Amino acid sequence: MERIGGRKANRNKGQMRIIEVILASFIIVFALSFVNILASTPTSPKYEATELEKVGYNALHDLDDQGLLARFVYNQEWENLTSALRVLLPVNVYFNATVYDLNGNALNNAPMFYGDPATFAGFKNIASVTYGLVGYPTKFNATYYEATYVPRILTLQLLRGS
Amino acid sequence: MVSAVYDHLLAIVIVGVMFVSAVVALPAMSLVSIKAVDQQQLQNTALNVFNAMLLDTGQPVGWGSMRYFQKNDPRVQRFGLASQSSSGFYVLDPDKVQRLVLTNPLNYCDYSRVRQLLGLQDYGFRFRIIPPFNVTFLSPPTVAGDLLTYTAKVNYLDGGAIPNAVSEATIVSTKGQNEFDITQSGTVRTDARGICNGTVKLGISDPDYYTVTLRVTVADVATLVVTSEQNFNNTIARINIVYDTIILTSLKDPPNDNFKPNEDVRIDNIVAFGSDGSLWMLYDSQGKNSNDNMFNTGKGEFERWSSTFWGLHGFQPVVLIFNFWAVEQGRRQILIMMAYPELFGTTIFEYGGSPRSMGATVRVQRSVLISSMTYTAELWLWKE
Repeated sequence: MERIGGRKANRNKGQMRIIEVILASFIIVFALSFVNILASTPTSPKYEATELEKVGYNALHDLDDQGLLARFVYNQEWENLTSALRVLLPVNVYFNATVYDLNGNALNNAPMFYGDPATFAGFKNIASVTYGLVGYPTKFNATYYEATYVPRILTLQLLRGS
Repeated sequence: MVSAVYDHLLAIVIVGVMFVSAVVALPAMSLVSIKAVDQQQLQNTALNVFNAMLLDTGQPVGWGSMRYFQKNDPRVQRFGLASQSSSGFYVLDPDKVQRLVLTNPLNYCDYSRVRQLLGLQDYGFRFRIIPPFNVTFLSPPTVAGDLLTYTAKVNYLDGGAIPNAVSEATIVSTKGQNEFDITQSGTVRTDARGICNGTVKLGISDPDYYTVTLRVTVADVATLVVTSEQNFNNTIARINIVYDTIILTSLKDPPNDNFKPNEDVRIDNIVAFGSDGSLWMLYDSQGKNSNDNMFNTGKGEFERWSSTFWGLHGFQPVVLIFNFWAVEQGRRQILIMMAYPELFGTTIFEYGGSPRSMGATVRVQRSVLISSMTYTAELWLWKE
């Protein structure tokens, strides 16, 4: 009777070993999964945002280099600024541009965007470029210009469509 | 005894499932990270290569303008497309980009040579230059008396109409043996549908031949030049520019560059149309024959005719207008060609290979200036 009872106890002990191994394996798998989630390997949409920031900055710098960006912003030529960004940026890049003063008030009464504005609200990886302008010179005669310090901040949000 | 067998079977099944999960699932989880790192490396490589292509002049700095360029010329030691005469970023030299055109009669660098110069032996790439928008003539221009009328449409690349684009027309017209005229119009703006209509008073009434060249500018930033006659029936020569020199080459490549029928032609006028819309009368024979302005279309050296016009490169020519006179047959022929046919215009210029597999490919884009006109340069890079 005792022998039979001892066998049963040994068998249960074996089953417990298996259950322990299973539990230990699950703990290892969960730990590895957890580490994988926490690991901050950048995903490709993040590279995309970095690349879009460069594309956006490149376009704004081009406009500024040609003396057009300040003209568009200070003369409130919002339609021209939108057209210029549409031809300078690749066709599958959507944008939303806003011009602010130093108090954070949006100055463009007309929206400047390409693509659906709702997309910008729901999209996770949006590239954003901020470009500062200090003022715009007014020409008084052939040799005399005067510029007033009136800073403006242009923010350009970008995302790539399909 | 029986239940022990069941226990072992169960244990084997569970351990087997765990083993398969471990072999399949765990590498899959880490594969995402490996792929991410690979893509990051590819992205960095693409950026470095793109910067080398667009910001570096290459070595020698004026390699695109070297005369008697051989195919894959060994004198080119480093590759770069940036203009040596501009201090700005992303300003490309059209002579250098022209050396990527595989149909360039004055030779080019092929894909494998450029890959070697860029140190991209283990990578493949594709380089594209995309125009900023599209211009199309809705109908052929018409002339009534001395009034020419044209209608054109200006679109974004996605097809949307561009309102308020500024259009200027340059009309080349000829009549009879002696009348040759170039008229430039004032500016016309596109309407909300992106359509512009222009009427221009010509210097010649009821011309035998006329062509409209439109220079369209959007928001003062991007310009495109198009001609109403997109495919000229060119039976005379191919027109090339290398820095300040205009070179006319045979219509056919060696060894078939001598062909029949051939005829003696005289160059009566050469006019360059610049990216700023200005005209430069480069040459006027005043109707006189001389050794300097005549050549035979089907006979002679591969380079049929050439002449250097100092300052032509700086003028940034976009279109060249040639007024020829066929000496024996006594007829006039006009040839209007883009200075760099594959670059300027509304078509996309493409150079490079195609990815062999569906593996990771990255794309980088920048806006660039070629002859003061804005284009989008694009590089696709992949590992081979």
